[in-house]
Amino acid sequence: MPSERELQISPVVQESLVHNTRTLYNLQSLTASLFGVSAGILGLESYAGFLFYLVFSLLAATLVYALRVAPTSLAAGKPLLDTSRYFRGAYDVWAGGLMNGFAGFVLTWTLFYGLVRA
Amino acid sequence: MAQVPVQTIHRDPQLFYWILFPITIVMILTGVLRHYATVLMASAPKKQDQKTTREQRALIHGINVRGNFHVLSRPSFETRRDALTTAYESGAYLKDPENRGQPPPNPMSDPSAMEGMMGMMKNQMAMIVPNTLIMSWINAFFSGYVIMKLPFPLTIKFKSMLQAGVATRDMDPRWMSSISWYFLCIFGLQAVFNFLLGSENAANQMAQQMNQMGPQGGANMFGPGVDPNKQFLAEAENLAVIEHYSVLDGVEQRLLEGIKA
Repeated sequence: MPSERELQISPVVQESLVHNTRTLYNLQSLTASLFGVSAGILGLESYAGFLFYLVFSLLAATLVYALRVAPTSLAAGKPLLDTSRYFRGAYDVWAGGLMNGFAGFVLTWTLFYGLVRA
Repeated sequence: MAQVPVQTIHRDPQLFYWILFPITIVMILTGVLRHYATVLMASAPKKQDQKTTREQRALIHGINVRGNFHVLSRPSFETRRDALTTAYESGAYLKDPENRGQPPPNPMSDPSAMEGMMGMMKNQMAMIVPNTLIMSWINAFFSGYVIMKLPFPLTIKFKSMLQAGVATRDMDPRWMSSISWYFLCIFGLQAVFNFLLGSENAANQMAQQMNQMGPQGGANMFGPGVDPNKQFLAEAENLAVIEHYSVLDGVEQRLLEGIKA
């Protein structure tokens, strides 16, 4: 964590941070629903489905990092896999999708599983 | 352990068209309706008289000076601090200075406070009324139908929740009735609302409840029952204890280091 003094020298703009977090949240909930659709169409059951969700939301987080965060963040001298240039905590980017989108995932998974298979 | 054979139930495909889709569509439309109802019912912020506004702005001024003292030079900060502290302590910014030191009025008798509570009540009603209506609608029309199978196994404890109204003892708890699809919709439709209405929408009841439970420090600052004189005195004390430094202290050194590197 940077000290209070460093934060005052190069301040963090609250509005931009909120905007980033909201954009990320929208992306996460939308992709989670789409993962649910694909898991349902593939007919995955129980552990396979949850594993699918875990793997794909991590993949989505990695893509967000690689495509949107990494180019400028690495150039600014941040270490690899560090998201502090755009987000408050690393947790938001990497694991936030698992929590935010879970209900949407279960909903669409059940819906499409019911429509296609059961 | 003996392998339990997978239960299959033959269901009329018409169940999807006459139960599943209507419930889903009604849930989505209710969310949209709730969003627009909240937008329409939102009462415009009440216009305050000049004295009240001055009182609040003076306090905010003090808080801002305290938060951003590092961008002010020392004489500039000290002038501001002295002016604000004197005014706070003499009560120059108070709405009615003759009321100093008296206990604040009862918040229930203040009409402006009732306004705020009415707003909260309205929001609550906008949440409760449609939920009750839809639930009784589903219970009246669709109870007892098994419509779907969950893609993941559940323990037997969930049976009474998922299969309410279906009195079949040996059925796998994975089968769910129409009312449990309704619950699934309540929790899972946030993504859809995000997509349809933008992320600032008021359709989501879960988020609203979170907001109500969350800390309300900002909203209550000028709320009823708070003595502004006490707030002013506390703010004067906060200003007095600040140890001033400027963000420009030692800037030459930092600049030289930046150039050297």
